[in-house]
Amino acid sequence: MVLAAIGEQKNVGMGEIVVAQAPVRLAAVLGSCVGVAMYSPRLRLGGLAHVVLPRANGAVANPGKFADTAVPHLLGLMERKGAVRSELIIKIAGGACMFGKGGPLQIGDANAEVVKEVLQQAGLRIAGQDTGGTQGRRVELDCGTGELHIDCVGMPRKTL
Amino acid sequence: MTTNACLENPKLAVLHQLLASATNDASVAMCRWTSGLISLTLDEVREIPLPEVCPTLGIGDELLTMVVLTIDKELGGVMILAFDEVNARQLAAALLNCPVSDSPQWSELEQSALTETGNILGCAYMNAISRLINQELVPSAPYFIQDYGASVLQQALIAQAITSDKAVVCRTGFHRHGVDLNWHILFVPNETLRVAMENAMPWQSEPPEAPALKPEVNLCNHTT
Repeated sequence: MVLAAIGEQKNVGMGEIVVAQAPVRLAAVLGSCVGVAMYSPRLRLGGLAHVVLPRANGAVANPGKFADTAVPHLLGLMERKGAVRSELIIKIAGGACMFGKGGPLQIGDANAEVVKEVLQQAGLRIAGQDTGGTQGRRVELDCGTGELHIDCVGMPRKTL
Repeated sequence: MTTNACLENPKLAVLHQLLASATNDASVAMCRWTSGLISLTLDEVREIPLPEVCPTLGIGDELLTMVVLTIDKELGGVMILAFDEVNARQLAAALLNCPVSDSPQWSELEQSALTETGNILGCAYMNAISRLINQELVPSAPYFIQDYGASVLQQALIAQAITSDKAVVCRTGFHRHGVDLNWHILFVPNETLRVAMENAMPWQSEPPEAPALKPEVNLCNHTT
């Protein structure tokens, strides 16, 4: 029998970025959006960005909405809490093609690509990823362990 | 709630008036399709900050059975007919005149019953909006999805997210003999369609006629 983890769960909505320490769990439901998780094992500090679109193309009021602004913003929040770039463990998930390839505004692939590109530009290596496909995902970052749990309908849970 | 929001925002009031009329047409179609069993009412038209859309509408990580229609032209949007599993099974069984299935898989016939329901509702709804804004809307064929409600709704919100940090969402409820059912239609227009609807003149008499859209899927045992 598996006991549920004790600790508050914080949902991260579209375009939001949340940083929290153990025992908080950061959760998001993702379709074509991409979840970018950063984790400092030393501080047991985790951050999750819920990226909606690939590029901001100019100044934005909400940096969490775009891949090219969310990644540096999340990184800045983690560093302000004492995390060091070199210790960060990065995991990403999401970027599904939700209504089939023929549906409108299929930006899941572009979201994932730009997230990877921006992480690479920032010198951040991706430790685990689960992107693409045609189904939504529920992700949960455990700030106590750094594990990113991923649930897909009809599939066994994955842990990155 | 809708009434207060509409009082504060005249554009939402116009949207509400227009979508209430579309809901009425969809309700008439649904009554015909279900032999008078099911009717619809417009619950709310709201403008909600993006991060709060799913929690505000109470849509999260629960598994929903959905039929999705998209409008892929410049005047675009997404319509989602959403049920929980129990209600979806009951509707399919009622339409097919058979016992509620307990199989974990949905049969092709059950899926067809639901997609046809979405098609009938969607065409009635889009026809009404077309007529009221005097522009043609061309919905896709409906498709059947079982997934997290929030993941599908998010995809519907993408078009609005490109230009705004808020989204306008219309939610319609279903009733059987006056009792609320756990079914909803969520309609999310894109920016262009939203503006076209907001700018629709309040109609005093009969709105202009627009070409009727025909349902694209037919259910074999459909009798009306």
